[in-house]
Amino acid sequence: MLDRKSYTLYKFHKQLNQSFQNKRSLLECALPALRNLFKLDRVYFFDWQQERALLSLKMMCKKEYCMDMQEDISVLNEPVFLRQLLQTGIAETTDLSYPALYVLVKWERPSVELKAGEIHSYMQERVGVLRLERFRKNRVFTNAEIDLIKDLGLEISHNLRNTEIDQAKNQRLRVSTALNDLSTIFASSLRLNDGLELILKGVQKYFRFDRVRLYLTDADGSKIKSVLGVDVSGKVTHQDGRALHEGEEKLLKEVFESSATYRSVRSVVYIPLKVQRNKVGFLTFDNLLSRRKIGYLDFISLQQFATQMALTIDNARLFERVQELSNYDELTKLPVRRYFNEKFAEELYRSKRFDLTLSLIIMDIDWFKQINDGYGHQIGDWALKEVSSVIRNSLRQTDVPCRFGGDEMIIMLPRTNGEEAKIIARRLQERIHAITLPDRYTDGEPVHLSISQGISSYPQDGLTPEVLLEKADKALYVVKQNGRGAFAVYREVAEQAEAAVESPSENSAKHPAETSEKSPADASSHPEK
Amino acid sequence: MILWAMPDSGAKTKEDHASFVSLFKQEYPSVDLTVRVFTRNVLWRRMFSIKNPTHEEEIPDIIQIPHYWTALLVREGVAANLSELDPGLSLSECLLPLKAHCYQPGTKDIYSYPWWFDLSALHYRADHLKLVTSNPEKDLSTWQGLLDVCEALREKFSDVPGYFPMQNSDWRGSLSMRNALPCVWGRGGALLSADRGETLVGTKVFKEGLHDYITLALKNYMPILRERGSLGTMASGKASMMISRKQGVNTFSARRGLRVRTLPVPTTGEQSHAYLSAMNLFINVRSQHKKDALKFIKFCARPDMQLKYAGMIEAFPAFESAFEQFIFSSSQRLQTYTGILSTARTLPNITVMGTIMEILKRILAVCATQIVENRFTQASLDRELDLAAKEIEYLLSIYEG
Repeated sequence: MLDRKSYTLYKFHKQLNQSFQNKRSLLECALPALRNLFKLDRVYFFDWQQERALLSLKMMCKKEYCMDMQEDISVLNEPVFLRQLLQTGIAETTDLSYPALYVLVKWERPSVELKAGEIHSYMQERVGVLRLERFRKNRVFTNAEIDLIKDLGLEISHNLRNTEIDQAKNQRLRVSTALNDLSTIFASSLRLNDGLELILKGVQKYFRFDRVRLYLTDADGSKIKSVLGVDVSGKVTHQDGRALHEGEEKLLKEVFESSATYRSVRSVVYIPLKVQRNKVGFLTFDNLLSRRKIGYLDFISLQQFATQMALTIDNARLFERVQELSNYDELTKLPVRRYFNEKFAEELYRSKRFDLTLSLIIMDIDWFKQINDGYGHQIGDWALKEVSSVIRNSLRQTDVPCRFGGDEMIIMLPRTNGEEAKIIARRLQERIHAITLPDRYTDGEPVHLSISQGISSYPQDGLTPEVLLEKADKALYVVKQNGRGAFAVYREVAEQAEAAVESPSENSAKHPAETSEKSPADASSHPEK
Repeated sequence: MILWAMPDSGAKTKEDHASFVSLFKQEYPSVDLTVRVFTRNVLWRRMFSIKNPTHEEEIPDIIQIPHYWTALLVREGVAANLSELDPGLSLSECLLPLKAHCYQPGTKDIYSYPWWFDLSALHYRADHLKLVTSNPEKDLSTWQGLLDVCEALREKFSDVPGYFPMQNSDWRGSLSMRNALPCVWGRGGALLSADRGETLVGTKVFKEGLHDYITLALKNYMPILRERGSLGTMASGKASMMISRKQGVNTFSARRGLRVRTLPVPTTGEQSHAYLSAMNLFINVRSQHKKDALKFIKFCARPDMQLKYAGMIEAFPAFESAFEQFIFSSSQRLQTYTGILSTARTLPNITVMGTIMEILKRILAVCATQIVENRFTQASLDRELDLAAKEIEYLLSIYEG
């Protein structure tokens, strides 16, 4: 048979014997229960703020409800009642003019007698204090009540502890799940930048940071190359590393030199991203606007995630580098045929869809075999390099040149018709003609390079890559047949050929290629001379 | 529908809300409205989490905010555009100083709607002051005069245990930036430059203004960080004056038959500037009940409801017709508050305003602890303010206000 006290304790225990989502829900259950049990007018719960030695009011319960309230009481202002509170777990001496009782809610109590100066150090984190008030009828608390209240305070403290542990566990689980989800998304992103955007947005959403930024370094890790950020509105911003403020530039050095990147009082955290000794970049998370502190648990989780992220970014960069190497010819630094074919197909599709023009130039270096045979392969390679360098520097960003094989090169010119392609062909012809073979190989006699070019255009000359290539090649053939060092547009060549068929006597004197502008680098300057 | 509100009338907030909500339900019986009360601190933190709530977190529909948070909430994308919800919604009836705080800065799109406002003033017990001055209006017109009166009162009531000349009106019982601002303004200081491009927190006048206010705690004229209601309260006779908003003063004076008079906050310079604080309502962009939420906002803005709620919590109605009815209903009220309102100042509606107040609140909290621990120095406060100025400059640069 339970006595009255045990029965009350049992009932209270049963009321609290459930899983609470957080401290607030627990207090919303416990405080009204206490109020009803002891016919209190108000019950308050204070948090203990270790760094300021304060009791900070969190919640008040009155009638049948609870609500948030504020009140800060400094321990140093109230040493008498606080010492009593710590020693006995209960304090009746307050300055209030009506009966009020403070009850300690704490897991460990000091067993030794406290001196005045030791109060602060004994109050540990995660401690709370209850204040029970009876002001209406001024009913004092009886000894039996005080005894029972102390035990109920203990019951609340155990429940608070369990709730906090549960909450921490749930939080950890939530964070792990979130980071796991983010990793999966990142891994399945086709492009690095898309993946990074998703990651940053996800991190901001799950961790509720005001801003998240990712600073990426250049290949040797010495400079910030770009910054990807998500701001408080969730918008993604890109910034070129060259446009950074001086202070931000210095960050790179500071982040990698600083060993302590987490400070509990701070609302900014920097996490370096590195793979072995390679600096990949760094992440910054800040709550500068909201002033919320970044928790240690979040910091640790993000640090683990950052290691994974650094590896992924580093791998993606390596992959990009490998892809770059496989897409570009090592000697000429021009894209290779496979890469060109992909781009050509894409661009032709776009031209068809949006009704745009497109031209193709196919070219080769005149007398290239003779250069190779006469001056050696080294000079042949040198000539190829020089010519491709001119090509690279003479085109628009949207144009795609390619080394098609040997000394044959192709240039795709999107949104360009035949007439516009001729302007480019002329420019190339002039610039390449300005290249002379090194004196030491030519006994001081200037030997100029020259090229022959054939042009075809979409849609006039063909609708498919194969046909356009074939037509440009035919125009090139005509140029070569007529002495090289010039260019020809397929349509013009074809029209003249047709005309020649219709009236052979009139046209036989002039070959279509001759109607094109001839290079000054004619036979007099070709390497064979 | 859920309303997140602040404890507008202290311990009786829930009761006031319950009776106000019952009026709303009489007109809109089909709309369910639950009120949750949170302190400003809790709401501030939640403003940064309501955008991405976890599945177990509650999604509020309407939220009460200090007026200067509007720009931030628009920037965050958590406040619904009220002009879009109701193109006919207007602020033409709203009091002029409150209008700018309802818009997205630089646009005419309304994102929050005024509910009520209040003004800081000096309230004093006529019976107490009569013992130390024959002309309180004159003696309490300057800050030095206030300090002299405090000294005289302390001597007069030296035998009353727990007596302080000033009651601390701050909810936490700490030092409050809202109460400090009139001192700063009085000296000609300000939080921001006129173009709001830089902060003046590190300037000499700002520091001096803050020090004027802190003197009340330093000289022990006002209790800080003590049990609320135990010491230094006007109602219990353990304090004689209080710098606060109107709230609470009328209640205890009427209840206890005390004569409480009101004056402008004593100035540290040439002119007294009261702190005007307003409360607005906004609709959460994630709310599933935006139409009902708008009904409630319009209900609150109706002149009769403005008068009703402002009367309950002892504040001022935010719309002209209700305000005029309220202020003209008492000649004493008209006389006292007309002058205070005409020179009142408020905080600008810019993204970082709430953050600036948080930074300064933290500095004052540290000051309060240092004063209690007897280790406060003006040099340390100045250093904190200089650091805060740098931090604010950085915030202004990244958020461009």
